[in-house]
Amino acid sequence: MKRPILSHLRAGVGALALLVLATGVFAQEPIRIGWLSSLTGPLSSAAIAENQGVQFAVDEINRAGGIDGRKLELITRDTAGDPTKAVNFAKQLVFTEKVHFIIGPVNSGESLATVPIVARAGIPNLVIGTVDELVDAKKYPNAFRVINTNRQWIDGANTYALDVLKRRKVAVIGDTSGYGTSSAKTAAELLEKAGVKPVYSVLVDPNKTDLADEMNKAKAAGADVIMPWSAATGLLARLLNTRGDMGWNVPVVGHPALMAPPIGKLLNKPEYWGNTVAAGYVSTTYDAKGKLPANTQALIDKLHDRLGKSEIDYMLWWVALGYDTVRIVEHAVRQAHGTDPKAIQKVLANTKGLQGVYATYSWSASQRNGFPDHQIMMNQANSFKDGAYRAAR
Amino acid sequence: MLSALIAGLATGALYAAAALVYNVMFSTSKVLSVTTGHTAMLGGVFGAWFLQAFALPLPVALLGSMAIGALLGALTDFVAIRRVLARSDEHLWLLSTLALATMVQQAVALWWGTEPKPFPRIIPQEFGAGVFDQKYWLPVAVAIALAIGLELFYRGTLYGKLFVAMSEDIFAARARGIPTERIRMFSYVMAGAMGGLAGFAAGQLTFAYFALGLTLTLNGFIALAVGGLGSNLGALVGGAALGILSSIATYYVGGEFQQTISVGLLMLVLLLKPEGLFGTRNVRPV
Repeated sequence: MKRPILSHLRAGVGALALLVLATGVFAQEPIRIGWLSSLTGPLSSAAIAENQGVQFAVDEINRAGGIDGRKLELITRDTAGDPTKAVNFAKQLVFTEKVHFIIGPVNSGESLATVPIVARAGIPNLVIGTVDELVDAKKYPNAFRVINTNRQWIDGANTYALDVLKRRKVAVIGDTSGYGTSSAKTAAELLEKAGVKPVYSVLVDPNKTDLADEMNKAKAAGADVIMPWSAATGLLARLLNTRGDMGWNVPVVGHPALMAPPIGKLLNKPEYWGNTVAAGYVSTTYDAKGKLPANTQALIDKLHDRLGKSEIDYMLWWVALGYDTVRIVEHAVRQAHGTDPKAIQKVLANTKGLQGVYATYSWSASQRNGFPDHQIMMNQANSFKDGAYRAAR
Repeated sequence: MLSALIAGLATGALYAAAALVYNVMFSTSKVLSVTTGHTAMLGGVFGAWFLQAFALPLPVALLGSMAIGALLGALTDFVAIRRVLARSDEHLWLLSTLALATMVQQAVALWWGTEPKPFPRIIPQEFGAGVFDQKYWLPVAVAIALAIGLELFYRGTLYGKLFVAMSEDIFAARARGIPTERIRMFSYVMAGAMGGLAGFAAGQLTFAYFALGLTLTLNGFIALAVGGLGSNLGALVGGAALGILSSIATYYVGGEFQQTISVGLLMLVLLLKPEGLFGTRNVRPV
C-alpha cells in the first residue's frame, strides 16, 4: 500500500512543480527600489508631488509586466526632511532591505549625509538634490544626478537678468540657511564672472518678519533688479509684499520657489506677483500656442486619467522628475540585463540623450550631472496653470 | 532705519508676550515650559483657520484661538507637569514639556502643512501704510495690555493673590489650605489663552506657520532672562530690547549674526546681572 501512496505523492509534487513553473509563482526576484522621500516635514510639498510620479511610473511598469519579467518593488521611507532619519533609512534600505537602487533623498541637506553611505555600499543612487557637491564621479561613482544643479538655476536667472532685461545693478538677497547662503554666494560669484558686481548683497533670516530695510537699502544702492536665492516661501512672499507696498516696480528674478503656488496666497494683493520671473524648465513651459512638450502633455493626460479631470494644483516638474527616476531605473536594468551594480554604473555612465519627461539626460565617465543647461527656462512667476507656466518674455 | 526699529519693536513685543506667558506658568509651578511659544503658534494657525475656513466673526475667531491656547496650557499641566512635579524635584519637566511641544508641532505640521499660510487683515486698512501698518502695532498693543492686565490681576483679585502666594512659597500656600494643583491648572489655562491672544494679534506679522513655536519659546526665554524672571515690566523691556537689538544688528551687519547677537545678549546679562534687569535676587536666610 505504501508504494502507490509514494508514487501518487511524487506525481503530485511533479505536477505542482510544473504548475508553479507554468504560472510563474516563483517568478524572478523583484527589482527593489528604495525611495527616500520627505513626505512630511519641510519641503514635503515637493516630495509628495515627486512621490506621485515615482508611484505612477512603478505602477505603469508593473502593469506592463515589469522589466524583463521582473516586477518593481518600491520601498518608501519618510525621512521627514531630517538628515539623521535619512541616514538611518538609507542604511536600512541598503543593508537590510538590500535594495538595488536608491532614489533620493529629496533635500540636499539629507543627500549630503546619505550619498557617501550609499556610495560605500556600491548601490546605484539617483540623486535629486541640487547642491553642487552631491555628485563626484571619483568619490561617488554610483551617484547620478537627475535634477539640475543649483548653479544651472542661478546661471539661467543671471543670464535672463543681464542679457534679456539688460540690467546691471543687481541686488542679491539670500537667506541664512546653508542652502540660501551658498546659493547667494554662488550667484554673486557668477555675476562677477560676467562682469557685474552686485550693488547690494544681504543674507536674511528665513523667518524674518519684515524686509522693508533690505528693500529700501537695495533701492538706495540703485538696484534695477532684485535676485532672491531662498527656498523659504514666507520670506519670498514678504519680499514681494514689501516691493508692492513700496510701489517699487523693480523686476524680481530668482529661485523657482518664487512661483510656488503657496506664494500667491501670502501676497497682500495678487498684482504684487507681477514682474517676477523664476527659473523653471522647458518641459513644463507652455509655448506661444499654449502647448506643452509632447512628453509632458502625455504625462498630464495619464495623470488626468488616474486622478480625474480636475486641474493639477502642484508644480508638475516634481511629478515629472519622480516619474523619470523610475524610467531611468528601467533604462539601466534593460541595458545592463540585470541589476548588477557595476553593470548599471557602466550603462548610466554611457547614457547619452535619454529622453525623459522632465529632461533629456546624458552622463559620462567624468560627468555625473545628467540635466542639460539648455533645458532651464525662465518662467513668469504668476502664470501657473495646470502644473506648468508661461515663458518669461 | 525707522522701519527696522518698528519691525524690531513688533517682533520684540511678541517675544515679550511669550515672556509673560512664561511668568504666569512659572509663578505657580516654577516650571519654564517649552510649550510656551506653541500656545502663540496655535493662536496664529487656528485664528487663520477660523477666519478663513469658517469665516467666523472676528471676536469668535479670537476667543476660539484663545480657547485653543488655553487647551494646550491645560494639556501641558495635565500631561507634562502634574506627574513630573509630584514624583521628582529634578528638572524633568524640561523633557516632558519638550516632548509635548514636539508632538504638538508635528501634529500641526501634518494637519496644517509646513508652508506658512496667510493671516487675514483684522482691522480694515490699506496695504502700504508703512510703519503704521497694523501688523506692527497689534502685537505691541497686546503685549502692553497683557502686562497691565496681569499687574491688575495680581494686585486686585483673589486668584491673583493666590498666584503670588504660590510664587512666594508653594509649601506654605498649601499648608494654608490653598488648592495648589487647581490654581496651577488655572494659571496654565490662563497662560495658554494669553499665548493664543498674542499669536492671533501677531498673525499678520508671522503668517500662520507651524514652526513658530520653538522660535518664540527660545526668544521669549531670552526676553524673560534679560528682563528678570517674574517681572512683567522686565518681560516687556527684555522683549523690546531683544527685538530692537536683533533688528538693528541685522540692519548694520546682516542676518547671519542675528541669532549670535540674541544669545550674546543673554550671555551678557547672565554674566553682569544674573537676576535680569528687573528681577530680584533670591537671598537664602541662614
